[in-house]
Amino acid sequence: MEIEDIKKLAVMARIDMDEDEMKEIAKSFGSILSYVGQVQEVSNLSGDEVATDNIENHKLHNIMREDIATNTRGEYTEKIMAEVPDTESGFIKVKQIL
Amino acid sequence: MIDLRNLTIKKAHDHLTKGDFTVSDLIDAYLSVINEKNKDINAYIEIYNDIDDQVKIAEQMFANGTATLMTGIPIALKDNMLFEGHIASASSHMLENYKATYDSSIVKQLKNQGVVFLGRTNMDEFAMGSSTETSAYGNTKNPIDTSRVPGGSSGGSVAALAMDGALVALGSDTGGSIRQPAAFCGLVGLKPTYGAVSRYGIISMGSSLDQVGSFGKNTEDTEILFNAINDYDDKDSTSVKKEERILPKPLKKKIGVPRSFLTGDGVESDIIKNFEENCKRLEKAGYEIVDISLPLIKYSLAVYYIISPAEVSSNLARYDGIRYGLHVEADKLFDVYTKSRGKGFGREVRRRILLGTYILSHGYYDAYYNKAIKVRNAIKQEFEKAFLEVDAIITPTSPFMPFKFGEKLEDPVGMYLSDLFSVPANIAGIPAMSLPSGKNDIGLPFSLHIMAPLFREDILFTIGKDFEKQV
Repeated sequence: MEIEDIKKLAVMARIDMDEDEMKEIAKSFGSILSYVGQVQEVSNLSGDEVATDNIENHKLHNIMREDIATNTRGEYTEKIMAEVPDTESGFIKVKQIL
Repeated sequence: MIDLRNLTIKKAHDHLTKGDFTVSDLIDAYLSVINEKNKDINAYIEIYNDIDDQVKIAEQMFANGTATLMTGIPIALKDNMLFEGHIASASSHMLENYKATYDSSIVKQLKNQGVVFLGRTNMDEFAMGSSTETSAYGNTKNPIDTSRVPGGSSGGSVAALAMDGALVALGSDTGGSIRQPAAFCGLVGLKPTYGAVSRYGIISMGSSLDQVGSFGKNTEDTEILFNAINDYDDKDSTSVKKEERILPKPLKKKIGVPRSFLTGDGVESDIIKNFEENCKRLEKAGYEIVDISLPLIKYSLAVYYIISPAEVSSNLARYDGIRYGLHVEADKLFDVYTKSRGKGFGREVRRRILLGTYILSHGYYDAYYNKAIKVRNAIKQEFEKAFLEVDAIITPTSPFMPFKFGEKLEDPVGMYLSDLFSVPANIAGIPAMSLPSGKNDIGLPFSLHIMAPLFREDILFTIGKDFEKQV
C-alpha cells in the first residue's frame, strides 16, 4: 500500500498524522492485510450463512419499544453540557461550517 | 490481619456476617496493599475518593439484614465502565477528563448489591491490545514476574486481583481481553455469552463482539460475580430476555478437542504439553475427551481482524472533539476534528481506525467485510453442530507464555496472534472461560480455555470446579 492511500484514509477517518507514522502504517498494513486475506481461501460456503442464526430458541430478531420519552425535558442537560469543551449560552459552539 | 491471598467471596461474606471483621476493615486491608504495591505494578489508574460512602452503604446493609453475597465485596472496575461522577477514560488521552454522566447497567446492579468499587484499572487504549502496553497511562506489570506484561486489554483489572488489590474484578472481552490476561496472571476469567450481560454504559469497541465478564481467583468467585450481573437489560438492544435463554440440560460429560487447530505456527511446545496434561486431568475427573474437527475455526482470527477494526472505525467516529473528550483548537471545523482525533488517540488506535476505514471503503468492502461476515456465520454453524456431540470444547488460552515488555509491540500481527485461541468464542458469541493449569519451570502460569454452547455458562463452571480439584 502506498503512502498516498494512507493519506486518503487519514482524511476519511479525520485523523491528523505525520508522514513517518503513515509510512509505518503502510508497512504494517501489508502484513495485516495478507494475514486477514486468508478469508478468501474459504470456499464452498453453502450460501445460507448470511443472516441465518438457527440456533435453538435463539433466533435473531428485532427488539422494539414504544416511541415514548423515558426522561423529562432537560433532565440530563446540565450533566451532559458540563462535558462539552466549548459552549456559549447553553449551546455547543463549533467553528463556522459554511 | 485478614488473609487476603486465600480469601474468597463466600469466606469474606461469612466473616462479615459473623462480625469477625467489618466491611471497613476489609476495604482498609485491600487499600493498604494497593498503597504498597500499586506504584510499582500500576494496576489502578485511580483509586476512587468516595470509598468511605460506599463502605457506609454496605455496612448499613449488613446492619439492617439486606446484605447479599456481594455486599461489601471490593471490586476493581475496568477504565471503560461508566460510574457516574467518576472519570472513565478507556485509558486514552481522548477521554482523560471525561466524567461519566450516568451509571453503566452493571455498575447500577452492583451498587444495588452494596459492592465497593475501589478504583478504575489500566487497560490497552480503548481495549485495543493484548499487553496493556497501548495505554496512555503507562505499562501495568505482571505481579507474577514484573519484567513481563499482564496480558490485555484488561491487564489492570487482572493485575489488581493478582496483587491482592481487589477480591474480584470486572473486565471486557472483545477478542480475548478477559481470558488472556487471566491466563497470564494465573487467574480465572470468564467471557459470558453475547447478550448475557448488559453493555449499556461500557465504552464500545467492536459492538458485535464486546461482552463484559468477571475475574476471580477461582471458578466459584468468577461465577458469583457473573451471577450478580447476568441479567436482561432493556437499555442494551442486544441483551437477551431471560425467557429466551437456553436452559441447562444434563451433561454428556464429553469434551471436544479441535486437534488440528492446536498445532498452528507459533504455538509454544510447552503449552501443548501442558494442554495434554489437562486432557488427562479432565479424564481423571470423569470426562471423555474426543477429537473433533472444526475446519473453519482457524479462520476466526482473520475474520476478527476484519470485523473488529471495521466496527472500531465506526464506533470511534463519535469522538469528534466537539461534544465531549479532548478538544484541540483550530481555525476550521475540519481541523478541529483531525487535530482532536490525531492528538487524542494513540498509535494502535489510529492504526485500527485506518484499517477499519480501508476495509469498509468502496471496492474492498465485499472482499473483506462481507466475506468475513459469511465465514463468521459458517464458523457459528460449525460450533453449533459440534455442540450436538460434546458439552464443551477445550484449547489452551494463549499460544504463548507471558512475554516481556516491548517484545511484540512493534509487530502488530505477532501481537494479534495472542488472540488465536480466544477469538473463536467472540466470533460465535459463545461463553468461554480460562483457568490456571499449573506453572512452567520459571513459575509462569499455564491456562486451560473452555468454550460452551450459548447461555451454558453453567457447563464452564461445572467443568472448572471439577478441573480445579485435579490441579
